[in-house]
Amino acid sequence: MTGPVLETQSLTKSFGGLVAVDHVDFTLPGGGLHAIIGPNGAGKTTFFNLISGFLPVTAGRVVFHGRDITGKRPHEISRLGIARTLQIKSVFNGLTVIDNVWIAAKGQSRFLHPFRPASSYTDVAREAEALLDDIGLAGHRDEIAGNLSYGDIALLEIAIALATKPKLLLLDEPVSGMSPNETQRTVEIIKNVSKRLDVILIEHDMEVVFGVADVITVMTQGTILCQGSPDAVAKDTRVQEAYLGTPEDEEAAGA
Amino acid sequence: MGRLRNLEPMQILGLLGALFFLTAPYALPLVVPGFWVNITAEIMIWALFAASVNLLFGYTGLLSFGQALYFGMGAYGVALSIEFFHFSFWPAALTGIAVATLSAFVTGIFAARLTWHYFAIITVVFSLIFFFFAVGWKDVTGGDDGMPFTMPPVLKVGGLELSLLDLTFQYYFILAVVGACFGMMHLLLKSPLGYAFIAVRENTARAGLVGYNAYMVRLLSFVFSGFFAGVSGVLFALFSRYASAHFLFWTVSGEGVVWAVVGGAGTLFGPVLGTAFLIVIREELSAYWEHYLLVVGVIVILFVTYAPQGIMGLLRKAIARYARPAAGDGRGARP
Repeated sequence: MTGPVLETQSLTKSFGGLVAVDHVDFTLPGGGLHAIIGPNGAGKTTFFNLISGFLPVTAGRVVFHGRDITGKRPHEISRLGIARTLQIKSVFNGLTVIDNVWIAAKGQSRFLHPFRPASSYTDVAREAEALLDDIGLAGHRDEIAGNLSYGDIALLEIAIALATKPKLLLLDEPVSGMSPNETQRTVEIIKNVSKRLDVILIEHDMEVVFGVADVITVMTQGTILCQGSPDAVAKDTRVQEAYLGTPEDEEAAGA
Repeated sequence: MGRLRNLEPMQILGLLGALFFLTAPYALPLVVPGFWVNITAEIMIWALFAASVNLLFGYTGLLSFGQALYFGMGAYGVALSIEFFHFSFWPAALTGIAVATLSAFVTGIFAARLTWHYFAIITVVFSLIFFFFAVGWKDVTGGDDGMPFTMPPVLKVGGLELSLLDLTFQYYFILAVVGACFGMMHLLLKSPLGYAFIAVRENTARAGLVGYNAYMVRLLSFVFSGFFAGVSGVLFALFSRYASAHFLFWTVSGEGVVWAVVGGAGTLFGPVLGTAFLIVIREELSAYWEHYLLVVGVIVILFVTYAPQGIMGLLRKAIARYARPAAGDGRGARP
């Protein structure tokens, strides 16, 4: 397996007249933490939605570890080894924290026994407990997920994603809405995770992005503007324009 | 006694309920007229039917208004195989259950693609199609008038013959079958598949993202639900000695939903409480007032508005308020 982890070829998604993702050729060679940044509406989340099977692709292909996964449904893609978190945090709100992670770990099974007690799957339970320990949610084990703080829900969502034992983890704004302390904790977790598996991170917090990312891809208006090391991206004038706007835009914004 | 004191209030209530159903044929006639034993048997059958609605609605998040279809399939399955094919008791009963489960599978292939109002609409449409079919095919189904059949013995060994015509035996037969079904449902809900039902109910998108095929999970829930509705239909046909096209009518489905919701959707025994409560009201009021359903309607509206967790929810709240301090002490003493 020397090919790239993830590759999109001319990947396109249009909603009516609006082209949200426009012929994107993206390659994730693997190893390290990859961040995708860009202004609102650049197509970052849509790009994730296409990879994870949330939205049907208009044109182009998605190849994961040499396998064409275009058009596969989310549960199939999950079983092939791509996990993701959502921009609007998505957990099983009415269930306990431990059940959330247990369900995620068990979701990878081909067969769901209809009569064997769930509590008899001690291996799954051990995995779930260990994950809660790693993520630092063990203290909230028996709480109802919906009652957790926003930051803890975001961490739980990461734990849920990791419980599926992915090869590739897609994180959509994991630290948005977090306190500085929670952000720091989450960044540490993301750093550690990225040593074991490939991570693509969408994030608006530039401090976080430039602190953790090995490679940064900048998207605007559905296309990739540039890609490179944090230093190279920071110096790129096109990126500064995309974020800060051209002088005329600034005048308009100031008015 | 020490062990009994460690029981949670809910477990004590459960034991009292079990005791009631186990002793009803002998205990009930001591306090109320004898026909209440039969009403209790009927409550058990309908409670199983309401539980089948609850499996879909309370646990999988699918509101079916067509459960009567599988109830009716079970009823006609047993009635027709006795009357037309001269099956003996057990093959006829199993045929009824198989027909119901199979029809749930076939209709589920389409229905499980949908959720919410679309799911409610497709299930009610399926049941109406078969209702009109049963009404029209009068030669076989008996249509509106229903189709009576001769009850074969349950067991015949030498001189011993057990038959549902013996009302006490019938009561315990129904109790055993309904009890076994609730036991099975309990296992199902505590299994990985049961957790998958709940995961799909809680967050279908998230369930998909962690690997659950929501469509398959819904379909399996639908088939199990059809199985339980089928068993209740078989029991009801045996109990009332006939099957009728009206068993398939949407009002039967609607009653199942109402019983489950009033009792407490998403709890195993909520449907039993709801069914018992509303059937007792029916029995008490219908003798005095033919429009007693208005009262039922008001009760349902009050529950849905002010106690959406149903009777079970009210019980839990009451226990939390009055019994918790004592139970809390007991828990604290445990290691």
